[in-house]
Parts: sequence; C-alpha cells; structure tokens
Amino acid sequence: MPELGIARLASTDALFHALIRTAIDGIMVIDEEARIQVYNPACERLFGYTRAEVLGRNVDMLMPEPYHSEHDGYIARYLKTNIPHIIGIGREVVGRRKNGSTFPMYLSVGEGKVNDQRIFVGIVNDISEQRARDKRIQELQGELLHVTRMTAMGEMTSALAHEINQPLTALLNYTSAARRMAKNLGEPAAQLVDILERAVDQTERAGLIIRRLRNFIEKREPDRAPEDVNKIVEDAIALGLAGFRDTGTKWILKLQPGLPQVLIDKVQIQQILVNLIRNATEAMGGRDKRQLTITTALDGNEVEIAVADTGSGLPNDVVSRLFHPFVTTKERGMGMGLSICRTIAEAHGGRLWLAANTPQGATFKLSLPIGSAMERGK
Amino acid sequence: MTKSPTIYVVDDDQDVRDSLKILLEFSQYAVQTFESAVKFLATDLQQLDGCLIVDIRMPDMDGLELQDELLKRKVELPVIVVTGHGDVPLAVRAMRAGAVDFLEKPFREEALLESVERALQHTPRKPTVKSDEGNARLAALTDREREVLDLVIEGHTNKEIGRILDISPRTVDIHRAHVMEKMQARTLADLVRMSLSHLS
Repeated sequence: MPELGIARLASTDALFHALIRTAIDGIMVIDEEARIQVYNPACERLFGYTRAEVLGRNVDMLMPEPYHSEHDGYIARYLKTNIPHIIGIGREVVGRRKNGSTFPMYLSVGEGKVNDQRIFVGIVNDISEQRARDKRIQELQGELLHVTRMTAMGEMTSALAHEINQPLTALLNYTSAARRMAKNLGEPAAQLVDILERAVDQTERAGLIIRRLRNFIEKREPDRAPEDVNKIVEDAIALGLAGFRDTGTKWILKLQPGLPQVLIDKVQIQQILVNLIRNATEAMGGRDKRQLTITTALDGNEVEIAVADTGSGLPNDVVSRLFHPFVTTKERGMGMGLSICRTIAEAHGGRLWLAANTPQGATFKLSLPIGSAMERGK
Repeated sequence: MTKSPTIYVVDDDQDVRDSLKILLEFSQYAVQTFESAVKFLATDLQQLDGCLIVDIRMPDMDGLELQDELLKRKVELPVIVVTGHGDVPLAVRAMRAGAVDFLEKPFREEALLESVERALQHTPRKPTVKSDEGNARLAALTDREREVLDLVIEGHTNKEIGRILDISPRTVDIHRAHVMEKMQARTLADLVRMSLSHLS
C-alpha cells in the first residue's frame, strides 16, 4: 500500500500503519501546501470520500464555506507569523462530507517535522451525536422553562387569590354580622342596613372578580397522558444536572421496575422533580458527603417518588411554612418553587411533603395516584 | 351548659375564625374556634356535639388529614370543609370521605347557615336513604351523561374527561350542562353532594 510523499518515509513502521488504520477518530496529515498526505479509514467514514479521492488534494475540500476559501490564507498567515490559531489548541469546526452535507466536529491540530518538511497532523472527532444530545436537553429545558413560567404565573395568581380570599372571607362575615346587628336595631338603623347590604354585595363582587381571574388562568388545563414514572425520573435527572456540572455528587437510583403508569402531565411532574433535585444539590453544596438518592416504589394505590439528600436539613422555622408561597431559604429565591410543586402534585390528586428532616439530610416525597381513570383511559 | 350543639371552627386564619364565630353566634349557635387541627384533636373528642367547619388548606395537618384522623378515632362529627377556589378535587375527596358539604371562600351568610343546618340534621355514618326523586333524576341521565357525571365527581377537568371518553372537551361541557340541569344542581358542590348520596 504505497503512501505519498512524507508518509512513504514512515510507512516502514508497521505500528504507524496499525495506529492509523484502527483509530476511531479521523487522522489526517497535510503538508505546508495543505495537500492531504495521510487519510485514515475513520476519515473515509466521516467524510464519505475514499482515500484515493483525497490524497494529494487540498484539505479545504473537506470544509464548507467560508473555511473552504479561507483555509489557504490561514496556513499562509501561520507560516508567515508563527502565531497559532488552532495549532496545538484544537477547536470545534464544521466538516463537509462528499455529499455536501456538513457536521460539527472537534479538530485538534499538531505540528511536526519529518525530514525537514513541516507537517500538520489533524485529529477529527465527530461530535454530531453530542450536539444532538445537547440540543435535546436544550429543548427539554426550553419546554420546562415555558411551563415553569406559565405555572409560576398561575401560581402567583392562585397564591394572591388565596391570600386575598382570607381577609375577604373575614370581611364578608364581619359585614354580614354588622348587617344583622343593624337589622336588630329596627327602623332608626334602616339606612345603616342598606349601607351594609351594599358593603356585603361589594365584598362578594371582589370575590367574584378573583374567581373570574382564576378561571381565566386555569383555562390552560394540564395535558395529561399515561406515563412511566421511572422514565420521567431519568429525564428529570438529565435536566436537573444541566447547568450543575460535576458537583461531585454521588447518585443512587433505586427505581422499582414494572411500576404501573400514572395519568400525569409529564412536563409538570418533571418540573417538580427538577426542583427537588436542584434544591437537594444546592443543599449539599460545601458538604463533604454529597449523596443524592432517588427511589421509586409502589405504595398501595400510589406511586411514590422519594428524593433524599445528605445536606444539613431545613431550619425548623422554615419547615412549618415550607410549602407556602414566598418562603425561601435562598438569598435569591422567590420562594415559589415548592409552593408551585405542591399545587401541581395536588392538581394531580397526589401529594408532596417533607418526609424526613435531619441534620444529615432531608427527604421529600411525591405520591401520585394510580387513578381508576387509568384503566378507562387505556 | 346548653344542650344546643356547638359549631367547631378550625382555621389557621385568625380573622376568618373570629368573624365566623361572631356571625354564627348571631344565629344563636355556640361556637368554639381552633387555630389548628392539632389543637382541635387535643380536646375531649368524645364529648363533641354539633358540627365541624374546617379549612381544607392548613399547615401541619390539613382539613383532609383531620377528617381522616376523626374517622380513625371513630368521632362521628358532621364535617363542612371550606375551600379556596380551585380546590375542587380536594373538596370532592373530602365529600367522598364523608364531609357533609363544602363551601368556597368567600361565602355568603345564607350559604353558610344552610350548610350548618344541613350538617346538624345529618345523622353521620348512617346509610343515606336513597330518595325516589334523586333516583328518578339519575335515571333520566343518558349513559354518556352518567359517565361524565362519574368523572366530574372524581374531580377530573373537562379536558381529562374528554381524553378518557375520547370526546372533545366542548362536548364534555354540553353533557355537563345537561347533567347539572337534569340533576337540578345549582353548583358543583350541589352536584357532588347529590351524586354521592345517591350513587354508591
């Protein structure tokens, strides 16, 4: 198997050939004029050109525009200035296949000398799958963010409505009592009775406005379908980890196989789990032992998901109000997370609660009913 | 002590408690208020006579949990649950667990007194006699309407019901309106109450 130019000099080395042929990554060597001298089988797979089609030709044939036209310039500039832009560094670039399609690749370039001739060695790694995975996570995150915003808006309204309904209820009761009192006074208080009637009506009107507002927000009904809880846990972990790279947390998954499906809005339940996972991860920041355990199990007519961390637990004064809106232990938190999560859980006929809280860690549990509607839904 | 029954009010909001007490006392009821389910459970439960008005959403132990606890301790006290708007599935659960009624905050005095009267007349734990009239109303429903009714009182939304029955939410809406009309229910609480006492 004759090699051209520089490579011929090395071809006596059987090891060199074995290396080139068996490498998973694409390996190519070009000379100072950018002519391809070595092109291994992995490159053939990546670019779709056979070795015979590329040997001796300018390597810019493997690049889409603008690199295709500019590549000779890059080399000339390097030869003139000796200032490397990619050599010895490596970067993400785009490759062009024989059929014209392009793909993202990681290219690292090294420089060497063989018999006083300068060569450049390129190692090419196809990163399209990794890219696709990143994109999928990004999409999931986008979806989650959208739902989070919508839910947050709904929850803000709900929380506000709930908070206002309390004093409104008291107000209506007090006013009704005053109306009674005025009625007992008889004729002299007739005008007072009339005024208090109107006050009662107006309080009711305020209640109706809130009710209408909530109806409007709740128009966006959850989108429920039978789902596999374990699959959702796995997705949630991928999502929960995005943006929290390498925190040194040890993950323990105890997912019970063969769990019945539950009728849920997948994205919303993911949102609960992502919240719990992120809270847990944050709670363990700075701790020596960082271990996150997620368990799924069947408990009677419910599927139960537990998220346990090894953080320092929650302060007592927070625990009693943990699921109230606007309660947070975080400096920059809004305190809507757990409140929203509980609302979602309850809207599914399920529950969310703090199952354990010790200085060695907290455990949150989410239960979802295996409703009778499930069988009918199938 | 008068022999008249007492209304026990359990709500974590002090002004809701106080105002309910004042209002109910105007109607000649004896009223005792509690700021939490736990405080209520600490009283001599066997001596209770009257009815319980409990907020469904409370910290520590909520209305549903209190209801469960009373069932466990075999305390036969009629329960009225008070809900915020949007807690219908929870309210339905409370009704299924034996609550006499539910009230949506804020409620009118008339609605409150009506519920309390109903609760006081209610003989807990005895099977409700199926009235011929209720049965007649149920019998007037088509099969599809009956299916919709069952799902409504399970606390499902129109969209879910549509999915389960494979019809559009709009169609569910129409069936639902027919059900309300045929059952002569003014509110969802009415419907749930009637259905639970006539279905078994």
